[in-house]
Order: sequence, then structure tokens, then C-alpha cells
Amino acid sequence: MRMDEPVNGQAPAREESTRHFAPSPGAPEAELPENAHGAAAREGVFDVVVVGAGHAGCEAAHACARMGLATALLTVRVTDTAKMSCNPAVGGVAKGQMVREIDALGGVMGLVTDRAGIQFKMLNRGRGPAVWSPRAQCDKVRYSAEMLALLGAAPGLVFVEGVARRVRVRDGRAAGVELQDGRRLEARAVVITPGTFLNGVLHIGERQLAGGRLGEHAALALSECLAELGLERGRLKTGTPPRLHRASIAFDALELALGDAEPEPFSHWTGRLEVDQVPCWTTHTNAATHDVIRRNMGRSPLYSGAITGTGPRYCPSLEDKVVKFPERTAHHLFLEPEGRETDEIYVNGVSTSMPEDIQLEFIRTIAGLERAEMVRPGYAVEYDFVLPHQLDATLQVRAVPGLWLAGQICGTSGYEEAAAQGFVAGVNAARAVRGETPFVLRRDQAYIGVLVDDLVTREHREPYRMFTSAAEHRLLLRSDNADERLAETGHALGLLSDAQLALTRERWAAVEAEEERLSRVLVTVAAPQGDARRVRAIDWLARPEGRYDQLPELGVEPRLERSLRAALEVRARYRGYIERQQRTALAAAELESVLLPESLWSRELTGLSREAVEKLRRWRPGTAGVASRLAGVSPSDVAVLLVHARRAREVPASQR
Amino acid sequence: MQSLDDTIAAIATAPGAAGLAVVRVSGPDAVRMADAVFEGGTALARAAGHTLHHGWAVARGEDTSSRLDEVVAGLFRAPRSYTGEDTVEFSCHGGGVPARRVLSALQRAGARLAGPGEFTLRAFLRGRLDLAQAEAVADLVHAETESAGDLALAQLAGALSSRLKALEERITDAAAEVEARVDFAEDVGGIETPPHVREAIAAVSRELTLLLEGAPWARAVREGVRVPLVGRPNAGKSSLFNALLGEDRAIVTDEPGTTRDRVSERIELSGVAVTLSDTAGVRTATSPVEALGVERSLAALEGAPLVLWVVDGTEPAAPPDPLLSANLDGRTVVIALTKSDLAHGATEAEVTHALGGPGRRVVRVSAITGEGLDELRSALRAALGADRAGGLSGAVANPRHTDALTRSREALGRAAEAAERGEPGEIVALELRDSLAALGEVTGRNASEELLERIFARFCIGK
Repeated sequence: MRMDEPVNGQAPAREESTRHFAPSPGAPEAELPENAHGAAAREGVFDVVVVGAGHAGCEAAHACARMGLATALLTVRVTDTAKMSCNPAVGGVAKGQMVREIDALGGVMGLVTDRAGIQFKMLNRGRGPAVWSPRAQCDKVRYSAEMLALLGAAPGLVFVEGVARRVRVRDGRAAGVELQDGRRLEARAVVITPGTFLNGVLHIGERQLAGGRLGEHAALALSECLAELGLERGRLKTGTPPRLHRASIAFDALELALGDAEPEPFSHWTGRLEVDQVPCWTTHTNAATHDVIRRNMGRSPLYSGAITGTGPRYCPSLEDKVVKFPERTAHHLFLEPEGRETDEIYVNGVSTSMPEDIQLEFIRTIAGLERAEMVRPGYAVEYDFVLPHQLDATLQVRAVPGLWLAGQICGTSGYEEAAAQGFVAGVNAARAVRGETPFVLRRDQAYIGVLVDDLVTREHREPYRMFTSAAEHRLLLRSDNADERLAETGHALGLLSDAQLALTRERWAAVEAEEERLSRVLVTVAAPQGDARRVRAIDWLARPEGRYDQLPELGVEPRLERSLRAALEVRARYRGYIERQQRTALAAAELESVLLPESLWSRELTGLSREAVEKLRRWRPGTAGVASRLAGVSPSDVAVLLVHARRAREVPASQR
Repeated sequence: MQSLDDTIAAIATAPGAAGLAVVRVSGPDAVRMADAVFEGGTALARAAGHTLHHGWAVARGEDTSSRLDEVVAGLFRAPRSYTGEDTVEFSCHGGGVPARRVLSALQRAGARLAGPGEFTLRAFLRGRLDLAQAEAVADLVHAETESAGDLALAQLAGALSSRLKALEERITDAAAEVEARVDFAEDVGGIETPPHVREAIAAVSRELTLLLEGAPWARAVREGVRVPLVGRPNAGKSSLFNALLGEDRAIVTDEPGTTRDRVSERIELSGVAVTLSDTAGVRTATSPVEALGVERSLAALEGAPLVLWVVDGTEPAAPPDPLLSANLDGRTVVIALTKSDLAHGATEAEVTHALGGPGRRVVRVSAITGEGLDELRSALRAALGADRAGGLSGAVANPRHTDALTRSREALGRAAEAAERGEPGEIVALELRDSLAALGEVTGRNASEELLERIFARFCIGK
């Protein structure tokens, strides 16, 4: 049965939308790399097929190809590779740390961001070390082009254009992908990253269109195929704000938001960043804006009941903000250019699914936007996802070995979250094909470890986004030490070169040496009472006022390169706290090392609370550490579980 | 760790003379095993749960069967039983022997002898009790006095749990405020630990202090307390000891240093089992035997939170023996000024001045006339913290709880200090999470998981 046709009579609307909201003119077409030519006709036999070339798919395909596998990257249009469907920025609090981690492991997001970035900012520089987070505004077109160029250079990677219809399963294992037009891609591992396209439905006011992005089709058959494989699905919602014509905005009335004077790169391998940065602008909503929203609430599909998927609370629509926080008379907005050349301005903060006329009406109540014209309206999109408890710690579908999922299909939101999962899924697919052990990062090792662990061990009701508060060891998971934490692993995976590893070791040896030197050097600093005192330079750095950059004023020659100075300051100032977190991490790692055999879940689990048994059977944790983090599983349950685990290893179930 | 899914049996009542003794058998095979030792109108296997059956406990041999005791069998089917498992309780005649016979019959039928607290552990593991409640049950079983019973019951009803949960809520709220500013500085703004959050931290810390101040009294109620009587030779310790006891237990002579060994007896003081220990007078010993006694007196101070210091009221006030005084540092001390029926050697003020550390109460007593004995008892009671506990409901009696709450309060203290020093939010949050984790050891809840929920409920997050 063909399941790829729209099922609820939305086809005409979709065509209309295609006419109405064609990609903006003037956007330069990306140049196709060599391995993309002939993509529309290609079929064949591969090691790995990656479905979808978004932020997850690109990392997955890149990792597989770099690890030496014949990799096919299936996408509807090659030129849409790594398209930024929502905001034109990479990074931010916790997300920026994650991009640094991907980079330290040998992924691509950081490199591409450095090449496509048009404004760089280290967020929270004045706050604590856990929240120093890089963020970059990007040129969307350039981002796609740079990703395409990078993937084009990956040996063993070929692009295939087409739409996946179903995952082929042979002997219970994923064996490839069948396309809508009947072509087949055989593979030993399949990574699916469909984003919002999985049974996507767009909402603009009362209008509904099938699609994953405005003007594009939805992947309906694929979602049905996953259901046929026995996977439990859910429905989520996300939204995007309207885009405005640059020329229609009165920038003089707005406040400028500039990048850092000395921009720092995302990638550890970029070296010095040479970039001519562009400004963003800020403005805010007002009582009149909120009034328009209130008067027209009935026309918002969010409030009319048309949308059933759960949206993210951390990225609320303007409708939500007005309803849930009625006491707020203004909400902050950022106007962000979608590129250096492009005409489109992204209005960060007014995600909405109101009808177009209402969108224009409320936009024009905002200072600076009184004459604004929309390039494209904002919209909400609902899409299917696979409840991630059905995945193992590598993001492989438990029921279908050889099949990995990554990105929004696992219930997350955000480019960075997607890329992190794509990396994990890709690396694991490649390692499985090569017959190697799974690659799993611990929670105290990386935000990526926290992300995957949270996904497969927690109940999720909204799209998952990374926050620093999700990481119990967040003082260890800093932006400044991502390469210290992960470069060895990246090298062991075969994704970092010997030279890159050597560079990393050299950098951290320099930090150690400097720390050592500064604990021997005495400096004279003014005491509160006015009399000068001699203290160790490292102790002065540990003080709130201590700054590495100011060492010359105390007569000490700085020896560290700029990118390592923050790391040294953090080490000096937060040593005690960092050591404390290291100790807790060590204790947690002990439980993490106790493996729970899969056979455990088919045994009778006596001695545990009923709730615990229910949760354990649902999540089937791979380690006692994961089990201990499941909601409803108490420490005593874990103790009892250890008994069962021991017994399961000693006495096979059949002999009981 | 012992098996948790076999069938266990034990005598469930305390040993000693009593009218009844109960033997309990619990586990998947409890009913079958009970039937193996029971002869009644109907087989228990066919009976409904929550029913009582009169009959005989029997020992069945190959082809004979001998009656052990006349019993009433109470049948409780899972999950509606104390342990949550199938359970049978045999009420036997008291005196120990019948119950022991029934128990061994059950063991022969395949039951394993339950370890201490194993029934309660099972009840806890099957979700019938929370951790605090499970511990309260063990306390209830060991409760020695009426008041101890009340405390255990109050805890069983979750009084402590609910008090702690309220505190947990408030710390979670404070942590959410801090966390929101860490992750969403742009949306929430302001300083990292605002004054109202600091106030909340301080307030919860004060409440924990109150709870902990009640802990010695609650613990004394739960476990009883040992109070050594110390002082110079011939200060009147043994006379006071006998007077408090109401009988001549210790030998009293005019000769200093008569008491060479420690003599201990139990009295009840407002529901607390107090073990008074009369000790040898502390001075530089004149004989090897006395020296041994002095040594033992000092050893008696080990682990005693409260000490009754006995001072001869007919003597002029003098500085204390340095040996003794060094050993009293850090303990709660009540000073008894003896022989009030004779001429006073010093005023109370002079004695307080010479001996009184902070908060040391001086009471003048006479072992002969009984003058001041009531006052002394109430001074001891107050020194145990009875008046601070604010009623025993929700008091912390368990040392494991005391320890967890102390750590929770310490973490709050560090959070407050970090906020004071202007440390960033993630540092303050780290301490608050530690505080929550320590509380969670008592309440069994992982509150830090709820942080994000709080943040979203409270703040408008997201541009």
C-alpha cells in the first residue's frame, strides 16, 4: 500500500503554498560538490545510508565517511543540505558547549559555523564558568554551502536525491532504504534523521498544509513504516517567527546588538577568526501588540485546538507568552539578519501560528517595524517522533538492530541537539558495521552524554532542549575544556588526526605548565587596608578580581595564548568546586560500570516496587547507573536490582 | 544481600513474659507453609484474605501429627498485608516455648528464618512504607516507654516526612530561582542570587536547625540516654544517685573515694529512659584501685551528651579539677550543689562563676530532705532539649536522619556563603542541589529533577 500521499485532503493547500512562498529570490544557489552529481539517479550498495541531510544527517554522514565507510546521504534536494529552518544562529547557553564538544570529537558543526558566521559572541562572559557559551549568527546560504563543500570533500560519501519510503528489514535487521520512486539503497546500517518532515503539518492561522518546512513536502510513508516496525510514536510541535524584508525596517529606531570585538572561533581547529561582523538589533513588544494577540486568540491554532502536538515551553509562541504571563507588558525581541547579502530578517521572539493578516498587524505595532513587510509568515509545525525509550544508549532502535535515529525524530529541538545525536548515531552505525564496541559518552564527560542519556531514560512531554541545569556535573562540562575532555576520544574514533591530538596535548600541557609557574611566582597586590601584600600569582588569579590579562600590570609576563586563558582562570578560581564534582562523578561512574544484562527484563523482578518494575521494563537500562536515574526507581530498588542482575548472570532464566 | 523473594518466618513479638506471642510467615509460599503446620476448620489456602481461623498448630511427621499449641491464624493476602506479600500470623500462647515450636515447624516446612527487620524491609521494597516509615516501624518494635511509642507512631504517620517535604519544596523553589538565572540570564535577568532567595535559604536553614535541636531529645526518647554523675570524691554523688533512684543502690560512706566502680541504674524522666551512672570521684588518686576508678569515671563521659556534675555545697567555691573540667568541654552540663540541708559554703552565683560554662544550670539539692530534686529533674529534662523540641511530632529521632539533615543544613550554609561572596549562580546551585540530595536521603525523593518544571512555571523563558 502506498502511504506517501496526503491522507487528509491537504494536497491543494500544499500546492498553493508552494506558489505563495517560494524560496526568496536572490539567494545564490550553492555550488554542487563532485559527489552530488547524478544524485537523482543513484542507487546501489553502501555500508551506511543516512536519511536526511539536516544538522543531524550531515554529522552522521560525515562521521561514517571519515571512518572509512561507503556512505550514502539521502536528501530531497542537495542544495538544501544543512538548511537552517528556524533561527540563523548556532550555539548559545549549553548548546554552544555541545558544539565545542562535537568539534573536539571530530564533528563538523563548529567548523562550518566558523566559516559561515557573521557575528560571534561569547555569552555570559561576566557570569560563572559553566555558562560561558559561544554563539554565532550565521549566513544561512553560506552555512549550507560550506557544509556541502565539507561533505563534498569527504571520501566515500555520495549524495542521493530522493524521498525515503521505507526502511528495508531483512532477518530482523535494517538492510537499507527504499525510495518513493522505487530505487533501493542497500546498506548494513541506516540512520534516519527526518526532522520536522516526519508526517509534518504546518499551521498558519486556520490554514493547514502538509510539509516539514514552508513550501516543502512531508515524509508520510516513512512514519507509517516506523509504526509498522512496531515503534511507538508521539506528536510534537514547534514554531518559527515571520521573516521581514530588510528594507521595510526602520533600523534607526532600534538598539544595536554587536558581536565581540575579538571574536572567538567555535572550532578548536580554526585558528584565528577573520570575520567582518554584522550587527543585530533589539526591540520589544508592547501593550498594543499583546492586545492584537488577545483579540485574535480564537484564530490561533494553538488555542483553537487544531494543534495537538506538545510545544516547547522554553521557546513559547507569542500567543503563549501573552496568555501565560499576562503581567508582562513587553517581551524582548531580536532582529537577526539571515545572511550577509540576503533580504530576510528573522524576528527572534515572536514565534507564532496566527493568520498572516494578524501577524502583520501585531508586527506593525512594534517600534521600528511600523512599516514592516513580511517575506514569509511565521508558522507552527507538528510532526511525529519516536518515543526514545525504544532506543539504546547509542540511539539504535532496540527492536531493529542496524537502525539508528537522530534529531527531532528522537524528540529534541535545536540544530545543536540534532548534530550531537547525528554524530553519536553516525559513529555508532560505523562502529557496528566495523564490528566494534558501542561509543557512549558518560554524563560527566560531555553534554552529548547528558543529552543521549536523558533521551533514553526519561519521560518527555515536550521537545527536549539542552540546558546547563540538565548536567549534574556542569562545572566539568565547560566550553573552555571541551578538547581536554574529548579530543583523545575523537582521535581514538579515527575522527581526529594525529596532528590534531598532538596540538590538543600541547595546549593543555601549556596550561599545566603555566599553572605550575604561577604557583611559584609571587606578585604584590594591594590589600583592602591599603598595605601591599605578596601572594602567589595563582592565588591572585583565584580571586574574583584576578584576571590573566592583567598579569603584566603585576610584572608577570603572560605566556598562554588567548584561547587558553579562560581555562586557566577557571582552574584557579573554582578548583575546590571542580574537584568536588570530579569526586561525585567518580562515585556515579561506579554504578555506571555495572552492566545490566538484557535478559533481566524478561525475568520476574521480585523485591522491587511495582512502579520501579514498570519503569525498568519500559526503559531497559543498560547499566545500574542509568537505572538509578529513572524516575520512580529508588536507591533500594537499585540495590535489589543489583541482586537480580547478579543472579541473572549466574543462573540463566531457563534454569530457574 | 539476602534473597528477597523466598518465604520467611519469625517470632514477631518481643521476647519476655506476655500473654501472647505472634509468629509471622511471609512470602510467596506463606499460605502453603502455614497450612502445613495448621489444623483448623478450613485450609488457609481456600480461605479469603483478612480472616481469622481458630485451630491447632501441629508438627506433622511421616504418618503422625502432634499438636504444638492452640492458635489463631490471621490470613492476609498480597498485596494487602504488612509486607505486601501473602502473610499468615499465628497468635500462640505466651512464654516463648509454644512460639518457638511453631516457628521451627514452619522452618521444617521450608520457611527461612527472617533476619532482623526483614519483614519491614520487604514492606518498604514493595512500596508499603516509605524509608522514614520503615525505620519508624523498627523503632516502634523497640520502643521501651510510652512516649517513645508516641514518637514512633507520629513518625509512622509521616509527620517527619511531611515536615521535610515542606522544607524540600522551599529549597527546590530557591534552587529553581537560581537555576533559572544560570540558564536563562537573558530572560530572567537580575543578580544571580536575589535577596528573596537568600532569605529563603536562611529561613529553611533556621527550620532545619530547630528540627536538629529537637534531635537529642527525640533520640533520647527513642534510645534512652546515659547520664554520668561526676565530681570530686565525697561531693555526694552516690547519695544523690540513690535519691534520684529512690533506693539505696550505691554505697554511701563519709569516706571520700568509696565508689570505686561504676554503678548504673535506669530511671524514667518525662518518658525518657535515663540511665544514671554513679562514678568514682575524680581527683589525683591515692591508691592503684582508686586510680582505676578515676580512669573509668572519665571513660564514662565518653559519648555522654549530658553530664550531671555534683559539687559539695558546703565547700567554698573553688576552681574545678583541671582533669575533670577538660573532659566536660563540649558537653551539656547540669551542676548539682549538694547537701543543701547543711550550711552553704558558697552562693549559687559564686559557684556559677567558678564552674559555670555557657548555659550551665546550677541547682541546689539535698539527698536527705529531697529539696531541689524536682528542680534538678526538670533541669536535666531541659538540658536534653525537651522544651525545644516543640512536641515530638516530626522530631528527628534517627541518627541517620540527623546526619542527613545536618549535611543538608551545612550545604545551605555554604550556599548562603557563596551567595554572600558573590559566587556565580552555578556554585550556589551546586550547594542547593547538595542540600536537596541530603534531604532526599530521608524523604526518598529526587527533587532536583523537578527544577526545570519550576523554572518554566515561574518565568517567561525564551525569546
